[in-house]
Amino acid sequence: MPTVAGYELLEHTADLGIRAWAPTAPEALEHAARALAEIMGVALPGPGTRRTVQVSATDEPGVLVAFLNELIWLHEAESVGFAEIDVIAASDQDLIAEVETVTLQEAPGGLGVKAATYHQLEVGRHPGAGVEVRVFLDV
Amino acid sequence: MRVPGIVFGSEELIRKAVDDRAVEQVANVATLPGIVRASYAMPDIHWGYGFPIGGVAATDVEADGVISPGGVGFDIACGVRLLRSELAWDPDVRPLVHELVTALGRSIPRGMGTNGRMRLDRGEVAMVLREGVRFPLSRGVGVKQDAELCEDGGVLEEARPDEVSDKALGRGASQLGSLGSGNHFLEVQVVEEILEPVAANAMGLFAGQVCVMIHSGSRGLGHQVCTDHVKVMDELTHRLGIEVPDRQLACAPLSHEAAERYLGAMYAAANFARANRHVLADGVREAFEGVFRRSARDLGLALVYDVSHNLAKIEEHEVDGRARRLCVHRKGATRAFGPGHSDVPAAYRSIGQPVVIPGSMGTASYVLVGFETSAARSFGSTCHGAGRAMSRTKAKKTKTGAEVARALEDQGIVLAPAHTALLSEEAPYAYKDVSEVVRSCEGSGLSRVVARLRPVGVVKG
Repeated sequence: MPTVAGYELLEHTADLGIRAWAPTAPEALEHAARALAEIMGVALPGPGTRRTVQVSATDEPGVLVAFLNELIWLHEAESVGFAEIDVIAASDQDLIAEVETVTLQEAPGGLGVKAATYHQLEVGRHPGAGVEVRVFLDV
Repeated sequence: MRVPGIVFGSEELIRKAVDDRAVEQVANVATLPGIVRASYAMPDIHWGYGFPIGGVAATDVEADGVISPGGVGFDIACGVRLLRSELAWDPDVRPLVHELVTALGRSIPRGMGTNGRMRLDRGEVAMVLREGVRFPLSRGVGVKQDAELCEDGGVLEEARPDEVSDKALGRGASQLGSLGSGNHFLEVQVVEEILEPVAANAMGLFAGQVCVMIHSGSRGLGHQVCTDHVKVMDELTHRLGIEVPDRQLACAPLSHEAAERYLGAMYAAANFARANRHVLADGVREAFEGVFRRSARDLGLALVYDVSHNLAKIEEHEVDGRARRLCVHRKGATRAFGPGHSDVPAAYRSIGQPVVIPGSMGTASYVLVGFETSAARSFGSTCHGAGRAMSRTKAKKTKTGAEVARALEDQGIVLAPAHTALLSEEAPYAYKDVSEVVRSCEGSGLSRVVARLRPVGVVKG
């Protein structure tokens, strides 16, 4: 598996999955979040407003789900897109990120995402090759 | 597995369910504590997240049965509303169908990021969660019959709005009376064929009649309720030592406080969904009145029925010869009570509960009624639509959105302006054959077909 960071979309009959990878867990979570923003059509140019996002869960995969769901909520409740998503720190129970939000001026052209699910959720570590995460979204 | 899995369908549909591996999810659901009789799958079953889409599972309230938010889904009480009119396609609507679809495209808020027809403050959202369709009715939106002919009378009295988070309230406040996106739609349809004249007559349906079908749900509020409570259940499932084969099947015993909280919140979100479709119907009335220059009442625009296909309800069913209180999960499956059931509105009690089945975009839709045998076969459940047969990725590779739009126009179907790039994901070829699905439901003794409708206008997000 390459150590270069990135993401790809996974096929699912009704929904959509994200596979993201990077040398470290915080970076992999960041790429998963950027994939989410692209899917929703809300990855926008800045400048925007920087704010802190904090989530917690009982384990690392749960942290991934909680993080993506927090971004979905933020986008929908405040009608914002994202110019930057930086995961500052992530453990197996908590995550802190700095995100730069941009107010939406028009309806996004992406897919409406209802939530990140726990279905086939995975955070895997490959010795010498970084961290890979998988999560499915309900669209 | 604690009970068997039972998949209803034709040979072809069952083969698709096996190929899609959805039957594995049927087997997973059969492991839920307290599940009774069987883990059922409707003919439109396909691979979901945890529960299969098209799954029905009932757990015994008094025997440590569980409730699982995954068995309801994120779009709590997503469902379908059918409105009828006194207008005939020929000569009344055909000459004005372009104007009508354009007017509907304007009066129906749709797509991502759009505000609904009713903007609410937090206090008003809480009232909707408690009162369902009674809230918009109290504000002069809609008519009394809209409550009488809605499943549950348009409100679940056991709703607990206080169990709905502030985050969910925030997501829902601007969305009441909005269609949403994805596979949600509004269609102008024509009744093409009546197959059960007595039932059709009871519903006020006739061949050549123009109707409107609305497919939408509880919007971001419902999605957030599910997100919030799945997280709680996930932690609880682990703490209680309940083993589930898919983490999305996180659950809690119905006797547990977390289960009661989820049930109350889910019912509140269901009230929001019913109110959402009720307010959308007001947008339909507005469009028709503007185009035909007559009141909606004169046009005979009236509710036939409104029914959900993502819900869990506490119901009484006979199991092994005795009445038991069950939590019946219907995930991408529709309640279909037979004739005589007390929960069926009086106007329809002799024919059975109406079931509204939306086809995929550009294909037939159906009105069914619950069969006498549905309670014994599937806890009074039937299909919800065509069921997906193909992933979105594959659908987009098959045809472009523009090609799908052109194909609809070639069929004579008027499409309100939409993001055409996304149309291919919802194209008919991405779904199973809805006609085969409803035939299978009839053959399985779940429901019978009353009428077939064809689309003439489509409004999508």
